[in-house]
Amino acid sequence: MPDTLLHHFDSAAARSGSATALAWRETRWSYQDLRTAIAGAAAGLAARAPARGARVVLLLRNSPQYVALYYGALAAGLVAVPLNTQERASVLMQQIEHCDASILVGATDHPEWPALSAAVASSGRTVIQVAPRDGEDALQQFLRDVDGTDGAMPAFPEPQELASIIYTSGTTGRPKGVMLSHANLAVNASGIVSYLGLTPADRGLCVLPFHFAYGNSVLHSHLIAGAELLLEENLAYPHLTVQRLQDDAVTGFSGVPSTFALMLGRCNLREFNLRKLRYITQAGGAMPRPLIERLRAELPDARVFIMYGQTEATARLTYLPPERLESKLGSVGMAVPGVEVDVQLDGRSLPPGEVGEICARGASIMQGYWNNPAGTQEVLKNGWLHTGDLGHRDADGFLYIDGRSVDMIKVGAFRVSPQEIEEVIAAIPGVEEVAVAAMHDEMLGQAVKAVIVRRDGAALEVRDVKAHCRQNLAAYKVPKQVEFVSVMPRTASGKIQRFKLA
Amino acid sequence: MADALHDQIRNFILENYLFTSDTSALGVEDSLLGRGIVDSTGMLEIIFFIEEQLGVKVKDEEMIPENLDSVSRIAAFVSSKRRAA
Repeated sequence: MPDTLLHHFDSAAARSGSATALAWRETRWSYQDLRTAIAGAAAGLAARAPARGARVVLLLRNSPQYVALYYGALAAGLVAVPLNTQERASVLMQQIEHCDASILVGATDHPEWPALSAAVASSGRTVIQVAPRDGEDALQQFLRDVDGTDGAMPAFPEPQELASIIYTSGTTGRPKGVMLSHANLAVNASGIVSYLGLTPADRGLCVLPFHFAYGNSVLHSHLIAGAELLLEENLAYPHLTVQRLQDDAVTGFSGVPSTFALMLGRCNLREFNLRKLRYITQAGGAMPRPLIERLRAELPDARVFIMYGQTEATARLTYLPPERLESKLGSVGMAVPGVEVDVQLDGRSLPPGEVGEICARGASIMQGYWNNPAGTQEVLKNGWLHTGDLGHRDADGFLYIDGRSVDMIKVGAFRVSPQEIEEVIAAIPGVEEVAVAAMHDEMLGQAVKAVIVRRDGAALEVRDVKAHCRQNLAAYKVPKQVEFVSVMPRTASGKIQRFKLA
Repeated sequence: MADALHDQIRNFILENYLFTSDTSALGVEDSLLGRGIVDSTGMLEIIFFIEEQLGVKVKDEEMIPENLDSVSRIAAFVSSKRRAA
C-alpha cells in the first residue's frame, strides 16, 4: 500500500466503518460518513479547481467539515492550505496571494469571513461557503454546500506529491509556507501512532487548532489508527473540557504548556474520574517542571509524553518515553520513528554535552518553503533541516533544548516573528523607531513587548499602538506591554540589543 | 444599576481586548469567543476581572458559556450572584 494519509485513512475506514470517527457538539460522523464527506468534498473541489496541484485555502475552526475539506482536497490531488483562524483578513489575504490559491473555502460564522471572502471573490478566485451546521443534517448540508452529493472517491495521489502548505512565522517577518508531501504527513502520523500505541479503542480529545502542526498531527494520527476524535475549539471553559474527558471516557489528551496551566489553574483533576485517560501529550515549548509534577500527581494513571517538533518536520521530531520522565526530566527525548536527530555546529556533529543547533533528517522533513528558494536553502542544508533551536544530548543520547539561535518569540505554542510586529507598528504615524522582544508571561511562557521611540511632538499612547496591532494582527501577537523610550539600546555597530528590551 | 454594570463590563473588554472606547465596537449580546474578541487566556482574565473588580467569586463549574460569553450574560451572572450573596 502506498504510504499516504489517504491510503491509511481508507484502510481504517474499511475496518472501522460504522465506528465514530469525529464527535463535535451534537454531530457524530462515523468513518463511513467521513469517507462520504471526503469523497463529496474531493468531487466538489476538483470540479472547481483549474488543475491538479492547485491550492485550496481553508478558513474553518475545528469541525468535521474542516476535516472533510482537508482530506477532500488531498484526495482530489489539490494542495490543502489551512489558514490560522486567529489571523486578520489582511494577513490571510497575503497568504492567499502568496500561494496563489484558486479556491477559498470557509465557514460563514468566522468573524473574518465577510472581509476575506469579499476580497478573495474580487480577485477572481472561487469562494465556497460552508455552513458550520451541527446535528444529524450536518453531512447532507455539507455535501450540498460543496456540491458533492454524488461524489465518488477518486484515485489517490502518489506519496511524493505536494499535499499541504502550512504557514508559519519566519525570521524575516514574512510568513513562510511549509510544503508537506503526502509521504511527509503519512510518515509522521504513523510514527506517532506507533509510539502512543493508538488503536481503534482510543478516544482522543483535541482542543488544539488543526491549522497548527501539532493539532494537525493529532487529527491525522487518530484517523489513520481508526480511533475516535472529539473536537473542541478552545479551552476557554476548562471545567467543561475536563467534564467531557470524564463523561466521554476519553483515553488521550494533547496540549501545550498553557493548556495544562489553564486546566490545572481552574480545576482539581482529582475530583473527576479520569481513569480511562491513558496518555497525555505535551509539545509546543518547555513546560515548567512544577507543572509537569502537578500533572503527574493529579493524573497518576496517565502516561505523560513530553515531545518536541517543528512545522518544518511535519510536526514531531522527538518524544520522551513516559518511563524515562523521572530520570530524564527536562529532556525532550529521542527521535521519533523515521527521523534522525543530530546536534551540529558548522556542519559537524557534536559530542554529548556540547550545545549546538538541532538538526534533523528523514521522511517527515518538509519539501521546502513555497516559492521561497532562498529561505529553503537557509534551513535545508547538506541534507539536514536546521531547526534554529539550540540543544545538546546527554551520554544516553537524550535531547535537551537550550534556546533558539534566531530571534523568535513563542507565545503559548505559536511562533511569532518580532519583525512582523515591528513592521506593523512602524506603519503608525508618530513612530520613529520600534523594536519588539519577548517578555516573560506566567501563563503563556512568553508574550510580546514593544519598545518605541516616538517622533518629536507625536501624541502616541499605548492604547493607540495596541489598537493598531489588533486591527492588523492575531490577538496573541498584540504586544502585552508597550514602552516608550527616548533612545534604543544599541551595540557599538548600531545593532539594537533586543536582550536589553525585555 | 444594571446599565452601570453592563457599562463597566463592556468598558473592561473594550479597553483590554479591542483597545478602544467606541462602544459600537461591541454589542452586549456579541459572543466573545465567536467573534474572536478573547481566547482561552482572555477568558481567564475576564474571570479575574469579575472576581477582583466586581467582587463576585466564580466557581469552576460556573465557568460556562451561558454565564460568560457576552457582556449581557456576564452582567446577568454577576447580578444573580450578588442577589444570592
